[in-house]
Amino acid sequence: MGNKTVLYNKHIELGAKMVEFGGWDMPVQYTSIIEEHKTVRNSAGVFDVSHMGQIFVSGKQAVDFLQSIVPQDIAKLMIQKAEYCQLTRDNGGLTDDLIIYHLDKELYLIIANAANVQKDFEWLTSKAKGFEIILENKSNEFSMIALQGPNAGKIVKKLGLKEEEQPHFFTIKTFSLNGIEGYIARTGYTGEDGFEFIIKNEYALKLWDMIFKEGEEFKIKPVGLGARDTLRLEAALMLYGNDLNEDITPIEAGLKWSIPADKKEDYTGKNVILSQIKNGVSKKLIGLEMTERAIPRHGYEIYFQGHKTGVVSSGGYSPTLDKNIAMGYVDTKDNITLDETIEIMVRNKLYKAKVVKRPFVAKRYKIN
Amino acid sequence: MIVPEGILCSKSHEYLLEDGNSVYTVGLTDYAVEQLGDIVFVELPETGSEFSKGEVFATVESVKAASEIYMPVGGKIIEVNEKIVESPEILNESPFEEGWLVKIESPDAQAESGDLLEYSDYKEEIE
Repeated sequence: MGNKTVLYNKHIELGAKMVEFGGWDMPVQYTSIIEEHKTVRNSAGVFDVSHMGQIFVSGKQAVDFLQSIVPQDIAKLMIQKAEYCQLTRDNGGLTDDLIIYHLDKELYLIIANAANVQKDFEWLTSKAKGFEIILENKSNEFSMIALQGPNAGKIVKKLGLKEEEQPHFFTIKTFSLNGIEGYIARTGYTGEDGFEFIIKNEYALKLWDMIFKEGEEFKIKPVGLGARDTLRLEAALMLYGNDLNEDITPIEAGLKWSIPADKKEDYTGKNVILSQIKNGVSKKLIGLEMTERAIPRHGYEIYFQGHKTGVVSSGGYSPTLDKNIAMGYVDTKDNITLDETIEIMVRNKLYKAKVVKRPFVAKRYKIN
Repeated sequence: MIVPEGILCSKSHEYLLEDGNSVYTVGLTDYAVEQLGDIVFVELPETGSEFSKGEVFATVESVKAASEIYMPVGGKIIEVNEKIVESPEILNESPFEEGWLVKIESPDAQAESGDLLEYSDYKEEIE
C-alpha cells in the first residue's frame, strides 16, 4: 500500500481503479482511458496530481544555487514565470526533470516527479553546501489538482478568476477564492491549455468539488494516470523513468531547445552538455508511427535495415489519432531521418513503422 | 449481460463454452475485459494451428498493457473472430457473445477441463 492523497476517498467513491505509482495509490482510470483522454482534448478533465513533489528554495542565494544545478538560466526567470528544467548529473544524465516556478523575490518552487522527490531532495541538499539558502520539502503539506483542456479557462473564470486575473501560459500566481488560497499556474502535462492548482492539503477536497460544480455544464470528468500518459505521449512530453533517466542527457532527449548555450554560470554536467551541443550525440530521440498492426511499448527494440539501432522509451495507442505511436532512442550513426522506415520488435516479430515529427498531436497552448 | 449457461472459466480468466461435437468457443470473461480496460488490439492465431492446454495462443492489448491469453484446454483452432481484430472494443462490450476469440476442436476437453470453474465458483474465487 502506498501513500494516499487527500482525494483518495473521492477517487474510490467515483469508482476509480487504483494503482501504485511512485509510491502512491493513484487512480489509473475512472471509466475508460479513451473516454477520459477525449474529454481532455474536447472539453476539460480534472486530475489529482498530489503525488508530485513540492520543494521550496528560498534565501539570498536561491538563484545562485539554482543556477548551479540546472542548465537553464534561472537569473532570467522573472517573478511569476515558470521554466521546464533538468536536474543534471556529472555525466549529463538526469536526476529528474522539473518545473521551476519563480514565486517571489528569493523564493522558488520546484515541482518534482513523485518517485523522485526523496532522491531530488537529497541531491539538492548535497549540492546546497556553501549556499545561503533554505531547502524545504513540503510535498506532504501540498495537494495539486490539474484542470486541462480547451474549456479550462472558462471554468476557471466561473470559479471566480476573470480572464485578466488568470495566469498566462507558463506563469504562476497566488489566488484566493471562497476561502481557498494557493497558487494557480498555467502549466500541465497534456499539450492542452490548462491550469495546475497548488494548494495546502486542507483545501483540496473543497477545490475539487468547486471545479466539478462549475465544470458541470462542460461535462468535465475526472481523469486518471492512464489518460495522463496517453495525453502526454501524444504531446511528446517526457516521462522520467521511461524517456529520461540518469544516463540520458537532455541533448540526446531532444531537449536542446530548453538549454541556453550561452549561460555563463557553471552547472553540474555542463562540460558534457556543451560538448554534445558542439559535437553531436551518439543516440537521439525520434518519434514513430506504426505502419503495420502492432503496439510499440517501453523497452521494445528498434531495428533499422536489419540491425538493432535502439529501443522504444514510451509507446502506445493514441486515442486522438487512432494510431499506434512511440518515442525511442536510435543510434545517430544510422542517420535515421523523417519518413524513414524502421521496424519494431514485438513478441519476436518485426513490424514496420515510420519516423514522424514530434509532437504527434499539435499542442494547443493559449499563448498570449 | 447474459452469461451463457455452462461456461467454464480458468483462473487466468479465459472461458470455455461447449458448442457440441467436440467444438468449443474460447473467450475472455467479463471480469477480464473489465480489468483490462479499453482493448485496442487483438492478435489471433491462424486457423489450423494447434495448441496444448496452458499455451499462449493470442494476445490482447489494452491502452495500458499487453496480455497473453492461454488455452483453457488443448485443441486445434478451427475459426477465429475476425470482427474483433477490426474492432477490438467489441471485447469490452460483449465478451460472451460478439466478443469471443476462437473456436477450437478439442477431443480431450472433458479430460482437461478438471481445473476449470463454473461461472458462479469463478466469481467467488475472484472476489
